Amino acid sequence: MKKHLIIACLALLSFTAIPFITQAQTIKVSGEVTTPLTIDAAYLQKLAPTTVTRKDRDGKDHTYTGVILAEILKNAGVTLGPELKGENLTKYLQVEASDGYQVIFALAELDKSFTDRTIILADKVDGQPLAPGDGPYRIIVQDEKKPARCIKQVTAMQVHFVK
Amino acid sequence: MNTGKKQNLFAKVWLKKSHTLLVLFIFMILLSGLSFTSNPVETGPYNLVYPANFGNRISIPADNPTTKQGVYLGRMLFYETRLSANNTLSCNSCHQQNKAFTDGLALSKGVDGVLTPRNSMSLANLLWARKFFWDGRANGLEEQAVTPLTNPHEMGQSLAISAQKLSKTATYPTLFKLVYGDEHITGDRIVKAISQFERTLISANSRYDQYQRGAYKPTDDELKGMELFNNGPQPEKGIRGANCGHCHGGPKTYMELFHNNGLDSLPKDSGIASFTHLQTDQGRFKVPTLRNIALTAPYMHDGRFKTLAEVVDHYSDHILESASLSTFLRGESNEVGGKSLKLLPIEKKQIIAFLNMLTDSTFINNPEFADPNSLTAKTKH
Ligand code: HEC
Ligand code: HEC
Repeated sequence: MKKHLIIACLALLSFTAIPFITQAQTIKVSGEVTTPLTIDAAYLQKLAPTTVTRKDRDGKDHTYTGVILAEILKNAGVTLGPELKGENLTKYLQVEASDGYQVIFALAELDKSFTDRTIILADKVDGQPLAPGDGPYRIIVQDEKKPARCIKQVTAMQVHFVK
Repeated sequence: MNTGKKQNLFAKVWLKKSHTLLVLFIFMILLSGLSFTSNPVETGPYNLVYPANFGNRISIPADNPTTKQGVYLGRMLFYETRLSANNTLSCNSCHQQNKAFTDGLALSKGVDGVLTPRNSMSLANLLWARKFFWDGRANGLEEQAVTPLTNPHEMGQSLAISAQKLSKTATYPTLFKLVYGDEHITGDRIVKAISQFERTLISANSRYDQYQRGAYKPTDDELKGMELFNNGPQPEKGIRGANCGHCHGGPKTYMELFHNNGLDSLPKDSGIASFTHLQTDQGRFKVPTLRNIALTAPYMHDGRFKTLAEVVDHYSDHILESASLSTFLRGESNEVGGKSLKLLPIEKKQIIAFLNMLTDSTFINNPEFADPNSLTAKTKH
């Protein structure tokens, strides 16, 4: 009981005692873009929400809500849609998490004219904000068997040409 | 008499010639004296050799290609105490080869006697690293090297003064010319050469490496330890594990990740959060390489653990909760519904046996990485 109390106090302290920790996480979109973006909660609010259901590590289906990744990239001026041909097919999106973990998607994997699979940048799970260890933003890849590219705590997205 | 004159002339010419010969001779001796120091310096591109399974995601800036002469100069500078304010410290003071380039101390003393805020880090396979320091704040070796050189609590001397001091020596101007084409010594050239040397510090011959290329048969304990290290615990399926590989995995035991591994609920050193100002980055530090880990005690960013046994106990039984604790360490247990890993005493021993497999004696005894001054000292005696 005592131990719980101490932990509760520590947890409280950790939120109050360190006042400079006030920033909210944002996502920088850069690289082969015409308009670099900084995405935050207000930015996502302006785009149409999409929902994807997938199983998490607990084996249960969860409903993730967010924005289709390609929509964000289009706003940044990434060569999707009719422009996704020729050398633009050698471009990829690199997504980075706050722990330094990185995954990539070929642009064609994200484009509706290539695939019906939906890939979103989610900020909610089952209607609630993502847990701190997963969010505030997480990529959700519909139907992908392994969760390894459902990258959590996203901090940056860069579009590059393969060298 | 004509012949006599001729002979005379001949004699004079010969004498003149012998003069020039003498001058030439003396010059040669002087030159050989100089080249006594520069003789061992091979020149040309440096061939970085490493196993294929390390991958080629290496970082060498375009403006600092690795050359044999650059690596030689960098090695001289790595061991050069003139680069410190009171001529007592070099990089080697806190990064000693026999300890896999650490210093055996929790915190290290700088030129002013003040302790560094964090534990000295092992320098191995930096070729594959992109972010340096416990909080990854330096983006590249060149940028990194400026800090220990100029920080008042480390070597404490401006790059300009370091360049000046080296310019006044007999050997360095010649060496800088060999590397950069002219004798001009600058801070930029100093850090570039040091970085070239650091890129050659490749450790790839531990028993683990030998095992991976089929040249070593691990003991039963090592093999069990390796399994535990790489497996996540799945008590429902009867799979026991310690999940270390999730953060420390791969052939290099380094993946360039940054996590809070549950050392404190309220970290004194906020790690990455000190510049991101994010709650979720509190107490997040670089997941360091485990290469040569048996040689690099004490452990963690503040050197709090003296032995590997203490480290394994921490992961098994003493992970502390906080908002930024890595999700990889949450709810991982070898007991169904358990809160901590709960490794058995024998399993802890097996993990430590595996960690000892990561010791690379070729690396710590490689004469190419040793103090070049102490080597010449040895041959002189
Ligand atoms: C007084 C002791 C001391 C001296 C001298 C020193 N270092 Fe360090 N070194 C440290 C400490 C402590 C750290 C970790 C500091 C931190 O994370 O803030 C470190 C970290 C490093 C790292 C980062 C490794 C990694 O994996 O991120 C490199 C590279 C390095 N030192 C190279 C050098 C070089 C090159 C020199 C000489 C120019 C040098 N050090 C001199 C103590 C020292
Ligand atoms: C969540 C990722 C993560 C997992 C899983 C993990 N570690 Fe670590 N490890 C870290 C981080 C981060 C540090 C540095 C922490 C610090 O100093 O604040 C570290 C440090 C260490 C160190 C000290 C290194 C040094 O140079 O001081 C050892 C040894 C170590 N871990 C062994 C293990 C073992 C053994 C396991 C499995 C039982 C394990 N780790 C599991 C993230 C992890």
